[in-house]
Amino acid sequence: MDREIMDREIIISAIKEVAAPYTQDKEALDQLGEHTSFITDLKINSANLVDIVLDLEEKFGIEIDNDSMSKMLDVKSTLDVIEGKLTEK
Amino acid sequence: MIGNDLVDLRQAAIESNWKRKGYLAKICTPEEQRFVLEAPKPDEMLWLLWTMKEAACKIVQRKTGTRSYEPLNFCCGLLNIEQTKASGTVSYFKDSFLVKSELKNTFIHSVAVSEMKDFEQLHLQYLQPDTAYKAAFNNLNSLYHLTGTLSGIPELTHQVTGRKHAVSISHHGDYLAIIYSDSLLLAD
Repeated sequence: MDREIMDREIIISAIKEVAAPYTQDKEALDQLGEHTSFITDLKINSANLVDIVLDLEEKFGIEIDNDSMSKMLDVKSTLDVIEGKLTEK
Repeated sequence: MIGNDLVDLRQAAIESNWKRKGYLAKICTPEEQRFVLEAPKPDEMLWLLWTMKEAACKIVQRKTGTRSYEPLNFCCGLLNIEQTKASGTVSYFKDSFLVKSELKNTFIHSVAVSEMKDFEQLHLQYLQPDTAYKAAFNNLNSLYHLTGTLSGIPELTHQVTGRKHAVSISHHGDYLAIIYSDSLLLAD
């Protein structure tokens, strides 16, 4: 497998793991993919999005600034932010 | 335009640990963090500020048609709290909104508008947050008809003029609040 695709899959499964405690919708969580929205699909409370951001910071050892956080409403943009921060390191 | 937001305090206590490291700094400006930490009831202050930001955010979202998660860009100011009522402002870059809030023992509800006159002719209806809430609203209000989904954008149609009026719905835990205006239209 292409290394980049593999990395993206690893990051997606990490996002899934981090999001799991904040959603009641197990079916939507099982189907989580790049186009999944945290709020409309996983029905995650907007106050818990901060927890997801903090958990991802810890998990990847990155710092997510305000501008990056503003985009993190779905898996795809969250993935892009994490990838960006990891290449900066 | 109008926007509202509600936090069920019991539910928030279960769902959110705002005291965890880094949490407050991600959603509150340094001044707001001071408001929270110095308040006699820090939980109440935090969720008051949060509902103010979220209510204003709903207006911005409707104006721009895009969703964004940037609580730090919504800055609360001119806070005035009197027992069960609060008022204040929320600024978002060049825009400024006026907010009025209700502080109950079990929940906090905030309403944001663009101009002071928008508070006039504004109605507030609390309902049970079950799937039949729209039917319940329509039973209580013969002049308006509410459609839309819980997660989608609500639509409120005047039964005589057919015009779409400004409406905003928020629900959390055991509570659901609908605000709507007799004078403001959806497009205003």
